[in-house]
Amino acid sequence: MTATRGKFTQIVARHESVLLLVIVFEVVLFSMLGRNFLSESNVSNIFRHSVEIGLLALVMTPVILTGGIDLSVGSLVGLCAVVFGILVKESGMSPLAAGMIAVALGTFGGAMNAGLITRLKLPPLIVTLGTFSLFRGLAEAFTKGSESYSGFSDSFLALGNGSVAGLPTQLWIFFAVAAGVWVLVHRTTLGRSFRAIGYAPEGARYAGIPVERNISLAYVLSGAVAGLAAVILVARLGEARANAGVGYELLAITAVVLGGTSIFGGSGTIAGTLLGYLAVALLNNGLGRIISYKIFDQPVSSVARELSGMLTGLLLLGALAATVLAKSLATRRARAQTSPNPKPQTNP
Amino acid sequence: MRALKGVSFELVPGEVHALLGENGAGKSTLIKVITGAHQPDGGTLEVGGVEVPGLSPSRARELGIACIYQQPALFPDLTVAENIGLRLKKPGLFSRVRWAGQRGRAAELLKRIGAEISPDAEVRSLSMPEQQLVEIACALGSGARIVIMDEPTASLTQKEQHLLFAVVRDLRASGVGVVYISHRLEEIFALADRVTVLRDGESVGTNPVNDLTESQMIQLMVGREVSALYPPAEGEPGEVVLSLENVGCSGSGVRGVNLEVRAGEIVGLAGLVGAGRTELARVLFGITPGDEGTMRLLGERVAISDPREAISLGIAYVPEDRRKHGVILEMPIAHNMTMAIHRKLFRGGMLRFGAEESLAVNFIRDLGIKAWGPAAPGGSLSGGNQQKVSVARWLATKPKLLILDEPTQGVDVGAKSEIHRIIRGLAKEGLAVLMISSDLPEVLGMSDRVGVMRGGELVKVMERSEADAATVMAAALGTGGTSGKEAA
Repeated sequence: MTATRGKFTQIVARHESVLLLVIVFEVVLFSMLGRNFLSESNVSNIFRHSVEIGLLALVMTPVILTGGIDLSVGSLVGLCAVVFGILVKESGMSPLAAGMIAVALGTFGGAMNAGLITRLKLPPLIVTLGTFSLFRGLAEAFTKGSESYSGFSDSFLALGNGSVAGLPTQLWIFFAVAAGVWVLVHRTTLGRSFRAIGYAPEGARYAGIPVERNISLAYVLSGAVAGLAAVILVARLGEARANAGVGYELLAITAVVLGGTSIFGGSGTIAGTLLGYLAVALLNNGLGRIISYKIFDQPVSSVARELSGMLTGLLLLGALAATVLAKSLATRRARAQTSPNPKPQTNP
Repeated sequence: MRALKGVSFELVPGEVHALLGENGAGKSTLIKVITGAHQPDGGTLEVGGVEVPGLSPSRARELGIACIYQQPALFPDLTVAENIGLRLKKPGLFSRVRWAGQRGRAAELLKRIGAEISPDAEVRSLSMPEQQLVEIACALGSGARIVIMDEPTASLTQKEQHLLFAVVRDLRASGVGVVYISHRLEEIFALADRVTVLRDGESVGTNPVNDLTESQMIQLMVGREVSALYPPAEGEPGEVVLSLENVGCSGSGVRGVNLEVRAGEIVGLAGLVGAGRTELARVLFGITPGDEGTMRLLGERVAISDPREAISLGIAYVPEDRRKHGVILEMPIAHNMTMAIHRKLFRGGMLRFGAEESLAVNFIRDLGIKAWGPAAPGGSLSGGNQQKVSVARWLATKPKLLILDEPTQGVDVGAKSEIHRIIRGLAKEGLAVLMISSDLPEVLGMSDRVGVMRGGELVKVMERSEADAATVMAAALGTGGTSGKEAA
C-alpha cells in the first residue's frame, strides 16, 4: 500500500506528468472553445506548422544538457533558407543538391559556434548571441534586405505541404530525427558524456572524456538540423526570405526547458522535450481556432500571435512552478510516511 | 569530529606569538574563533581582561582584532586610499566622501609602516606583498590591538620579507599583540617571542621561543606514534612501473623530480599544503602536461598531454577534490564507475546497461560500498563511500599505476581503515601506487617508501624503515639534516 502510494507520488512529481496534464488540459480547452480543433486537417496542421521548432528543440536538448545554449539557430535557419533560395532560383541548382548544401552550411555554422566555444573558451550565451546577429545579418545582406525567392517546383513544395501515408511529409523526417536524437541522448556514450559535462565539466575531463570534442558535436548537430529545418520551412511557405525562423530559437529553448531539461545542464530527457514541444505547438495552433470568443472586442483568433507569446511564457513559468511544488509536496509526504524508518534504501 | 579541543591561548600586548602546527592541526579554526567567524561551543574568550561571549566578526573589529590573510581581501578596482577609507569607516548610503581627509589618513598610515605605496594607486596594480602592507595599514588605522598574520610571507621575496619583519617589530614596539602563523621555523626564531604548538586540535604547550630547538618544535608538532592499525606490506616489489627523471612543469612550479615506483609498491608523498604534490600528480596524469625531463612507463618513454592519453597508458588518478573531480554527485554510481572506460566497455559507443550494472554490482560488493544499488546517485552516499566509488572508477580501467590524492580526506575513521586495506590489497595484486597524503601517520603507516616534497621539488625519498614523523616533517619544512636536495 505504502509502496504503491510512494510510487504514485513519485510519478505525479515527475515533470513529464505535469506536462502531460497541461497537454490534456489544452486539448480539452481548445476542442471546447475552438472551431474544428480536433478535425483531421487541423491536427495535421498543428504538426505541419511547427515541425521546424520541434526539430530545433530536439537538437537543442543535447546542447542544453552540456550546460550550453544555442541562440543562433533561428538566424541560421534564415541564412540557410536564403542560401537555398539563391542556389535554386539563381544558380538553377536542383532542390536536392541545394538542400544538401543548406545542411552543410548549417553544419558549418554550428562548427563555428563550437570552435569559438571550445577553442577560445568563450561562454556559449555570448558566442551564439554574436552568431545570432551575424547569421541573420548575412541573410539580410544576401537578399539586400527585401528580396525573396519563390516559385519552387511542385515536387519540392510537396515536402512542406504533401502527405505520406496520411501524415504530413515533414512529420516523417521529424520522427526519424527524434528517434536518432533519442538514441544519441539515452543510449550512447556520447549522450552520457553530455550529462557528465553538464553536471561537472572538470570532473568529466578527469574521467578522460573528450570534453571539447563532445561539446563541439552538440553544436554541430544543432547547426546541421537548423539547415534541415530551413529547407523544410521553405518547402512549407514556398518562399525563402531573410526573416525565416525569426524567434524560433526562443520557442525551441522554451520547449526544451518546459520539457524539464535543466538550463544548468546535466538532467533532461528527449521525451520531455517532445512533450514540451507538443504543449507549445498546441497552444500556438489552438488560439488561432478560437473564433467565436472575443477578447478586447476582437476574436481570439485574430490576436492569436500576441496571445500565444504571453501564454507560452505563462505556461513555461506555470509548469516549472507546478513541478517544484509537486516535488516539495512529495518529499514532505514521503518524510511523513517513512518517519519511523527514515532510510529504507540503505542496505549494507 | 572536533577541530579544536580545549585550546588555551594567551596573547600579551607587545609580543609576537607564533602559532605552529601541521596541516589540519586547528590553526585556521583557532583564528576563526578569535576573529568571530566561528562560534566556539565551549570555553571563554577574553579581550583586555573582559569576557566576550558570542563574538561576531564586526564585534571583533570593534575590539581591535584584525586579521591579515595570505590572500589580501581588498577591492582591486579602488585606490589604496579608498580601500583604507572603506575599512576604517563604513560609509552610509548617501554620506559624503571626504577625499582629502581619506587620502591624508592613508598616506600617514602607509608612512608609519614604511611602505612606499602611493595612496592613489589602484590596488590592482600592486604586488601581493604591497597589498599585504595595505592590509596592515588598514589594521593599524582601525586601532587594532591584536593583529593576526596567517602565513604572511608565503608569497614574498626575501627582501619583502625583511620589510615585513620590520613592520611586525614596529607593531610589537607600539604595544600591539601579534599572532604569527608560519610553517617556516626560521621566521619563528627570527621574529617570535613565544610559540604555541597545536596538534590534532589541542594545544601541546606554549614556550618562549628561545627555550626550544628546531627539533624540539618538530617533535611537539608531530609527537605521536604511528599506530599499528595499518595493513602490513608483504613481498618484494616487482618491476619499475613509473620512472621520472628531472620531470618538471613550469606552469605549476614542479621542478626536477626524480622518482621510481615499482609494481606492488606504495610510495607515499608527504609535504605541506602547496608543496607541489597535487601539481606533480596533475603532470603525471596530463592535466597540466609537464615540459621538462623524461617520464617512463614500464621502460617506455611517454609524453602525456591529456588525461585520455594517461588512461590509455594505464595511469589512474583518484583526485583530491572528490566532489568536484572524483564523483559526479548527481549521476548514478554505476554511471560514475564506468565513466573512464566508455571506450572499453561500450564498443561502438552504444551503452550496454546489463554490462554496466553487473560491473557496478561487483564493485559495490568487492569494495563494500554502502548504497542501495547501482542506480543510487553519488551524492546520496557518505564521503567514504563516494571515495570508494571514485576508486572503483579507476580500478575499472585496470591501471598499472594508481595515483591517489588524499584518499582518506574527509572520510570517517571506519571507512578510512577500509580504504587503507583496499589500497594495500591493490598493491599486493601488483599495482604500483603513488599516494599523496597530508595525514602523516597515514603516509608513514601505508608507504613502503616515503617521498617528501617542498616548493615543487621532491627533496627526499626514504625507505619505510628510515622514515619517521620528525624526519619527514623536517624535510617538509626544509630544516634540520636535510639542507640540500637529496632526491633518490
